[in-house]
Amino acid sequence: MNQAASPNLSEDEKDILQEIMNIAFGNATADLAEVVDIYVMLSIPNIQVIGIGELPSYLKDTIKDDGESSIVEQKFWGNFKGSGLLVFPSGSGKDLLAFLDDKADYTYESNAAATLEKGGLLEIGNILIGACVGKVSELLGTFVTYSPPQVLQGKASDYNYLIEHFDPQQTAIVMKTIFTFKEKDINGFLLILTNHESIDWLQKALHEFMDSYE
Amino acid sequence: MINKILIVDDSPVARRMLKTCIPKDKGYEVFEAGNGQEGFEKYKELKPDIVFMDLTMPVMDGYQATAKIKEFDKEAVVIVTTADIQPKSIASVMELGAFTLLKKPAKAESIQEAISKVEIKLKKLQEK
Repeated sequence: MNQAASPNLSEDEKDILQEIMNIAFGNATADLAEVVDIYVMLSIPNIQVIGIGELPSYLKDTIKDDGESSIVEQKFWGNFKGSGLLVFPSGSGKDLLAFLDDKADYTYESNAAATLEKGGLLEIGNILIGACVGKVSELLGTFVTYSPPQVLQGKASDYNYLIEHFDPQQTAIVMKTIFTFKEKDINGFLLILTNHESIDWLQKALHEFMDSYE
Repeated sequence: MINKILIVDDSPVARRMLKTCIPKDKGYEVFEAGNGQEGFEKYKELKPDIVFMDLTMPVMDGYQATAKIKEFDKEAVVIVTTADIQPKSIASVMELGAFTLLKKPAKAESIQEAISKVEIKLKKLQEK
């Protein structure tokens, strides 16, 4: 991790963003609990600022896709612009869907099951990414528009496509939160990536957020 | 009468936000702890009238810390302030004996309302 690539976000700003991410993901899990009877154990979010050029290798190292990972991506636009990635490593996405619908047969052999799996993941991704990004935006006094979520298949080993329109000399903010679905010990994590274009706006918005508490 | 308030949260930003919501004109002494373990130790040392407790924290989480504080002092007033507002989380902390649960981000109105409720409770206890 290149800490030298973080001249644009102070420790205090990272702390503010961490707390905002914490609040936002807490809200997102409550939204999920309204739809499905599941309890999500939360962890403390982690905020990192890294060089855009390092992002693909960071994602590769973080996601550690063994071919069994389930990944949902949703892009968002506005002052706050970037991508949300919901990752269930090592088959835990299938375990989660099997838990949510114990009648479905989530095996690779069945096309119908693959469709069900994709639909279920998109729904969970849409709720968690959408609610989390939406709450971050709300707290920072802006709004975003979303692309439809998509399940990443066959792309997971190469994340270069995520940064193809970005300047590799610039920086990205990575907000990561790990969670566990308690009943089934199913783990996953949510990454919110935002690029250099959002940093100036984000800094101003973070200070305005805290100013409302002074 | 409320004299001492303890804020237990790993986030310095969350502690700062909560502190600004506590009335300044009442003469409350406000103390801080960065995790549940530190919060429990400070509770034993200071015996605060109110504890504002986060749930997701390193070292010792807010569930464990609330349980330990209530075990140490069954009259302890623990107000949980958390982003985790899942129905099962709310039920768990209330079962542990929390006074109430407030959703993050902290809002001056809800913090002050909760403090007023504690004041009423303490007054009633004193009258008994």
